[in-house]
Amino acid sequence: MATLELSNIRKAYGGTPVLDDVSLSVAEREFIAFLGPSGSGKSTLLRIIAGLETLDAGEVRLGGERIDPLPPGRRGVAMVFQHYALYPHMSVRENMAFGLRNARVPREEIEARVAEAARVLEIEAQLDKKPAQMSGGQRQRVAIGRAIVKQPRLFLLDEPLSNLDAALRMRTRVELAQLRQRVDAAFIMVTHDQAEAMTLADRIVVMNDRRIQQVGAPMEIYSRPANTFVARFVGSPAMTLAPAALSDGEGPFARVRLASGAEVETRVPRAGLPAGDGLLLGLRPEMVSVTAPGAGTADAEVMLLERLGERTLVYARLAGGQDVTAEDKGDSPLRTGDRIGLRLDGAAAHLFGPDGAGHHAEAAR
Amino acid sequence: MNGARDWRGLLFVAPFMLLYALILVFPLFRGLWLSLNRVDLFGDGRFVGAANYVRLANDPIFSTALLNTFKVTLMIVPVLTVLALLLALALNNAGRGAALLRGIFFSSAVLSVTIVTLIWRFVLAPDAGLLGEAWKAAGWQPLAFLSDPHLVLPALAITTIWWSLGLPMLLFLAGLQQIPHDMYEAAALDNASRWTTFRRITVPALRRTIVLVVMLQTAAQLQLFGQSQLLTAGGPSGASRTAVLFLFETAFGRWELGYASAAAEMLFLLILAVTLAQYWATGRGREASGAR
Amino acid sequence: MDRGRLTPVGWAALLLGALIMVAPIVWTLLLSLKHNGELVGHSGAALHGPYTLENYAAIFGNSSTLRWLLNSAIVALGTTAGVLVLASLASYGFARLEFPLRRTLFVIVLLGLAVPSQAVILPQHQLFAWLHLHNSYPGLILPGLIAPFSVFFMTTYMRGIPRELDEAAMLDGASRFTVFWKVILPLTAPAQSTLAVFTFLGSWNDYWWPLISATHSDMYTLTVGLAAAQMNYAQTSGLGYLMAQAVFASLPIFVVYIAFQKQIVRAMAGTAVR
Repeated sequence: MATLELSNIRKAYGGTPVLDDVSLSVAEREFIAFLGPSGSGKSTLLRIIAGLETLDAGEVRLGGERIDPLPPGRRGVAMVFQHYALYPHMSVRENMAFGLRNARVPREEIEARVAEAARVLEIEAQLDKKPAQMSGGQRQRVAIGRAIVKQPRLFLLDEPLSNLDAALRMRTRVELAQLRQRVDAAFIMVTHDQAEAMTLADRIVVMNDRRIQQVGAPMEIYSRPANTFVARFVGSPAMTLAPAALSDGEGPFARVRLASGAEVETRVPRAGLPAGDGLLLGLRPEMVSVTAPGAGTADAEVMLLERLGERTLVYARLAGGQDVTAEDKGDSPLRTGDRIGLRLDGAAAHLFGPDGAGHHAEAAR
Repeated sequence: MNGARDWRGLLFVAPFMLLYALILVFPLFRGLWLSLNRVDLFGDGRFVGAANYVRLANDPIFSTALLNTFKVTLMIVPVLTVLALLLALALNNAGRGAALLRGIFFSSAVLSVTIVTLIWRFVLAPDAGLLGEAWKAAGWQPLAFLSDPHLVLPALAITTIWWSLGLPMLLFLAGLQQIPHDMYEAAALDNASRWTTFRRITVPALRRTIVLVVMLQTAAQLQLFGQSQLLTAGGPSGASRTAVLFLFETAFGRWELGYASAAAEMLFLLILAVTLAQYWATGRGREASGAR
Repeated sequence: MDRGRLTPVGWAALLLGALIMVAPIVWTLLLSLKHNGELVGHSGAALHGPYTLENYAAIFGNSSTLRWLLNSAIVALGTTAGVLVLASLASYGFARLEFPLRRTLFVIVLLGLAVPSQAVILPQHQLFAWLHLHNSYPGLILPGLIAPFSVFFMTTYMRGIPRELDEAAMLDGASRFTVFWKVILPLTAPAQSTLAVFTFLGSWNDYWWPLISATHSDMYTLTVGLAAAQMNYAQTSGLGYLMAQAVFASLPIFVVYIAFQKQIVRAMAGTAVR
């Protein structure tokens, strides 16, 4: 059963649309990540669910009840803000109790809930401190604690990890994962960090340009990107997209020719692909390996090497000027300027039609 | 946003805005109207058009008062600005002594005009004043600061400078704090002399503050009133009557409210011009610094 | 730093300047400590003893100075309280809420910064006469409540408070007023104290308005009372007593100055923001 139901949401600031007919259904206890570049509308959508922004058209339902006309405090949602938004003049205890007091929860109940949240988050010793006396990680915990005590049906997290340093971010990621196991609520997290989204989310909602581009489980988003935007946005370094034309042939799978003349045999069904030019061949770095010149699918020149330790990323240029990212072993002997051959793993490659839509190899299913 | 929310917003500003409309906006327009009428203590007055303004233009007492105002402003503002800048430069360090001296130079600014004139009356008065006693001790004839028509405006200026030094000094100190340290370090590495550093770095960086001080003080001194009213009552024979004192005497001595309103409007225009000049000058200053 | 170092000539000039600042005040103090009779025709007597506190004792025997002190205190405190309440409410509206005419009203308030008091004082006097408010505390307090600077200052401060706090409070179920009262207002405490000191000083030292509004001597504030005393001093009890009144009247303000030096400096430097 769906916990949160967004139907046909539209929003514009002045004349500029920021959300265009967005619909989404979130299951009970599901963890959803809104992933997208800044300006994609993901934060606006979160704020509409919270009640911090009004919507121009559409509906928001939580547990079957329509909540979009309600003020933020009555929606049964709790939010963790990007900069925590702790009340600087209140102690940690007062910060967590503030919302419950406004809701006229009995005093003993407030004390019990605050004590329980503090125990779970291991901030019992900090309860009488002011936010300014605490470290960034501790403040983050208080912000989460303030959300937990409200026992919401839905947690909204606005870039919750972006203000933490790398080590703390890892630890907090683990803690968030544990938290969602403990509480009986759904989570929506806004992020522009795909690793965060891939780690935490059951499903990722990729947003760009006012619309949802794709909704799916993390590996589905990665291995079957719905369009070129998702293909390039998810995965690091980004997928190479090389212009390609469909070659004539009879087989069930598409064979394409690159501008350099190289031909690649894919496992994408030929049926349903438009004939002729205008295709894009999508290759993740791990699908492109380095060979001796002439021994691979195409020859190329090494432009730049990025040595990551366990592997080396090879930024190479094909004869036709097309840039391709390849992967080689960690102790690769290559140097900038070397002539190399590239083996393109057609079996794993993607194809994108002129409309940007993705076509994927059946084997990847 | 729905209508109910709109209403609540208005409720927050309403108490201030209603009082503001009653006590400031309404009198502003009422003053303009009064200046076009002949109004005295009794009755509501009679519309006379620009007659009050014509009369002002031909009133030698008003022109003398205006001239006195300009003179005293010119005596005060340059001296005050330079002194305050020098003080700020000298006292712009963290030492105890500097803090104490800053406190001393600012202390007079917290006094009311009544106290200031009371103090200075008995510094300047030839018969009972500090200066008079000093002059007498030196065997000289005490100067009649408050009754000599040539000395009375300088006397008001000295009193005012003593009283007003604190604020410009603080503004300059605040301005000096804004100048990045490394500019001075760079200048020192370039072997710039003190004078060059002052002229090429400090003054340009303080440009905005200098304009602000000059304009604030000009606007303030064009309204000089208490010093003249309390120390000399505008005397001797009008030699220290300022424009606001003229306005005060006309309104609350002779109760010619329409005529006094016309004088008030003229003065308002003058001060508005100074204020606008400040916005214009600092606006340009901002553009110039943005272009760097 | 090098530019902070003064030459001996610079130091001498600075100390001379300090002496000029202090000398009139010391002179006033000395005069106030002398027997009135000794000063007649010879104020130089103040430079040597004997000194006495009789003039200060006389102040406590004379009800009018104490009455003026009380009036000044009521007016200055009333004005300060009123300004804080009105400016805080209005500034929250301007800084945080959406309502019709918000921008227009704010611009009208800002324009008020350019209106000197003498431009409106005659019609104000007329208005207060119609309302029968002259020679009353409300009459002395009300014109001080509408300082545009207070709204400008507080609005600027409130705009500096992150909006996330309002939003967090709204998600915590707080009403607009609760957000204002429990979240924003406590966070403006530094600005409140600065504005309070600034307003108190201005009101305590105001001369123009009480001069024309308070015409009964029992409604005088200290500024007006001492102005009257100094104009009539020849007929009254004497120079020493007059100066003792001046010192007495300045004491509260010096106490405020010393206690709140930080706020005063901040408020004054804040005028540079305009």
